[in-house]
Amino acid sequence: MMRYISKSVLLLFLAVVICCGIYPGVVWAIGHIFFPAKAEGSLLKGPDGQVVGSKLIAQPFTKDEYFWPRPSAASYDGSASTSSAIAASNYALRDRVARQLGPIVKYQSGPKAGQLVAPDVEQWFQQDHFQGAPGIVAQWADMHNELATAWVNADPTHGAYVDAWAKAHPDTVAQWIKSNPSTPQPKAADLAVVFFENFSKENPGRFPSAVTHTGADGKSTTAIEPVKDGSDVQSIFFDMWRQDHPDVALQNVPGDFVTTSASGLDPDITLESAEFQLDRVASKWAADTKRDPATVRAEIEQILQKNASAPFDGLAGEKLVNVLEVNLELRDRYGAP
Amino acid sequence: MWFLPVAIIVFTIIVAFPLSKYMTKIMEGKYRAPGIVRWIEERLDTGEQDWKQYTIALLVFNTALFIYGYVILSLQPWMPLNPLHRGLLSPTTIFMTAISFMTNTNLQHYSGDQHFSNFSQIFFCIANFFLSAAVGLCALTGIIRLFRGQKKIGNFFVDMWRVVVYIFLPVAFVVSLVFVQQGMPMTYRSAYQVNTLEPTAMGATDSGQAKQQTIVVGPLAAFVPQKMLGTNGGGFYGMNSAHPMENPTALTNFFTTFAMMIFPFCLVLMYGRMLGRFRHALVIFAVMLVMFIGTIVWAIGFDTLRPNPGLTAHPDARTYTIADANAPGGKRLLALPAVAGLPVDQHLGNLEGKEMRFGTSAGATFAAITVDVTCGAVNAEHDSLTPMASVSPMVGMWLNCIFGGKGVGMINMLLFLVIGIFIAGQMVGRTPEYLGRKIGGREMKLAMIALLVHPIMILMPTGIFAATTWGSGATSNPGPHGFSQMLYQFSSASANNGSAFDGLGVTYGFYNNTSPAPEAKQWDIATGLVMLFSRFLPIIAPIALAAGLGMKKVAPFGPGTLRDDTLTFAFLLGGTVIIIGALLFLPVAALGPLAEHWGPFPFGG
Repeated sequence: MMRYISKSVLLLFLAVVICCGIYPGVVWAIGHIFFPAKAEGSLLKGPDGQVVGSKLIAQPFTKDEYFWPRPSAASYDGSASTSSAIAASNYALRDRVARQLGPIVKYQSGPKAGQLVAPDVEQWFQQDHFQGAPGIVAQWADMHNELATAWVNADPTHGAYVDAWAKAHPDTVAQWIKSNPSTPQPKAADLAVVFFENFSKENPGRFPSAVTHTGADGKSTTAIEPVKDGSDVQSIFFDMWRQDHPDVALQNVPGDFVTTSASGLDPDITLESAEFQLDRVASKWAADTKRDPATVRAEIEQILQKNASAPFDGLAGEKLVNVLEVNLELRDRYGAP
Repeated sequence: MWFLPVAIIVFTIIVAFPLSKYMTKIMEGKYRAPGIVRWIEERLDTGEQDWKQYTIALLVFNTALFIYGYVILSLQPWMPLNPLHRGLLSPTTIFMTAISFMTNTNLQHYSGDQHFSNFSQIFFCIANFFLSAAVGLCALTGIIRLFRGQKKIGNFFVDMWRVVVYIFLPVAFVVSLVFVQQGMPMTYRSAYQVNTLEPTAMGATDSGQAKQQTIVVGPLAAFVPQKMLGTNGGGFYGMNSAHPMENPTALTNFFTTFAMMIFPFCLVLMYGRMLGRFRHALVIFAVMLVMFIGTIVWAIGFDTLRPNPGLTAHPDARTYTIADANAPGGKRLLALPAVAGLPVDQHLGNLEGKEMRFGTSAGATFAAITVDVTCGAVNAEHDSLTPMASVSPMVGMWLNCIFGGKGVGMINMLLFLVIGIFIAGQMVGRTPEYLGRKIGGREMKLAMIALLVHPIMILMPTGIFAATTWGSGATSNPGPHGFSQMLYQFSSASANNGSAFDGLGVTYGFYNNTSPAPEAKQWDIATGLVMLFSRFLPIIAPIALAAGLGMKKVAPFGPGTLRDDTLTFAFLLGGTVIIIGALLFLPVAALGPLAEHWGPFPFGG
């Protein structure tokens, strides 16, 4: 037995020295002799010579001048890769995608072909009827308790707004406590559904949203107020609008544009997704540089084509572009946005 | 679409034939290493061992490996290569992780990029990658020698040395060269802080400045090859081979997939070569390959060739009758309206949780292969596979013998084989024989013990967790998919696989974490124990079985002998695997993925 123990320790020691010491060291040396830039993480430098990121790691872009990467469940944090881990059957997936779609989806055919649906979503929202019944916001909170709760928790100002509402509506809260005796002292999140039901009754065709006012002294203040339009209405209620208008033909958005990647750091988008964003990007650069939109568009199209490549030359997949590389090229050509 | 899986399989088979020949040479001791290496090999030799001594040596070594792993992880805060000051992990996580890597499972309740220093990545992970894989391979070698009728079956420590140094190291080195050329990082540095091109897009820090992006790097080109070759699968990053640093290009994905398949493929052929029954091994190989292709086609068919059903239209309104104690008659009707589709172009299939650069069908292909060969690395999020597609990885883990992990997959197949022959023997009324040796009561008992450990270790804890808040407090998806998450976790632990439905809340993190996943400790301990039992019982029992069988007299080959190298035998073996597998796991599949597929869609929220 003692011999087995000593040989085990010896084997362990030898394996650690060889596999954890020598072998990685040799690979490190080869990497640094032949492929030093790659071995250090394929870093890319920006216009001022500073490192701006890695070719392999997606980073966020929000300006219209840049192409946008896929949405990220990791918030583009290169030290915390994660996927959404949302199942296809989970409503959270449809909700997330619908919210992204709401402000950007366009009609495909009919008299409004090519126009955004968002204004119609707002108009429909203001009518305050879903599936023939009044109270869109109340129905939304009833159907999706978790989303209502998530709204309350999303921001401290939301919670404060509900708290203020609860103080102003002691009867409603007392009624709620009566029917939920296990929660005698409800927090804002517990009251989410009843809050929205009540809100919907008092503010038909409105949703609580952050509104920024500029005061007389030039200072801006943000507060939650009932609003009848804006990005919250367009995104949150797009899916319900869609259920009321199932047969309206809409332009499809590329799949990778609205789905999160496995790592949350996917550096590529499909060429299709880039083309989908091309109008936005080109018109913005044209406006910034005061040049002819058609020429700018052609130039950027050329940049995309030059950067596009497919896995195994197209045998295994479609053409992709690396978002950071393309955006760096745009930055080099047109200056700071 | 089909190019990628076909190319991977064909390439692997082509490499497997010569490589299995080389492995046979090594394991037969016919290779004479150069001076110093042989000198070391001789230092490890404690002499020829019988099956009991060999097994004890195996267990002693694994105990040493567990202690080593536990100590290395516990020392993390005080060790070098830790510029990000990764602290001490929670004790239950260390316990679970040490077992997980020792048993070749590599189920991870931590995230490498958030919780490990490069020291732990190198000295804990890489060491286990080589050694735990070698243990399984040695166990199989021992069984083969016992089947040949050998009383003395060589020396465990010498076998380990040969596997690690003569087989794994050279292959890992070649693969690492491909990886480093393709842009996988190979550095002892830990992370970069960069100002991104659009600095404000990262958000702002508390002090109002633009947030920097932290990019974690490390010695990946040395880490990943053996992670895959040893069918270990424990990722450097939380998202494993989906992470662009851990799998930067379509070509690295190709070789990553190849690397996890190659040794399981080789071992079946090595089995035939060492026994001198190559045709028999080819029959087993063919049975495995058919099931292997089946799981891949299934996954691609339901995930790549179809859109994500969460976003599409479901035009039929449905009504369900559900039990409700408060309703008159104890039942009430639940009406689900028709659902309109969202305007998303899904011609590339389900893209939620997929990476783009590997190729369209790469995620589904990898998902099927990684469970078949019990690797457990992932290049897509299994939690976001469509419900029907997720059946494929689960079946791979439940059968656990479609090539299977290093050595143990082949051992599991031998159990099915013994049982299949026994059933066939019963049907024709002849004493069942394998390799000319009679299968008796002792053999059957041992085979059943080894075989039943697996379903018990999956179904029992899944049941317990599903019935308590240990499970419901950890699931992140509603309804049947939440059940699938628990089921998958224990299937993965018991199959020594290591992939997961990542939404499950099982991460405790550092010991001083103030908001760990609420049920993380229970999951750590339960999966740790499951991995331990499901690793060693199915190794020890088959060794004992082979020892008993090997000592029996070889009956002469007669006209009534069941031939083990024919198409009939292939059907017998494949049928046994599928029927037993279905009997054991179909009910639980109905509660999880099948219920999700046919149930209300979308669900909850």
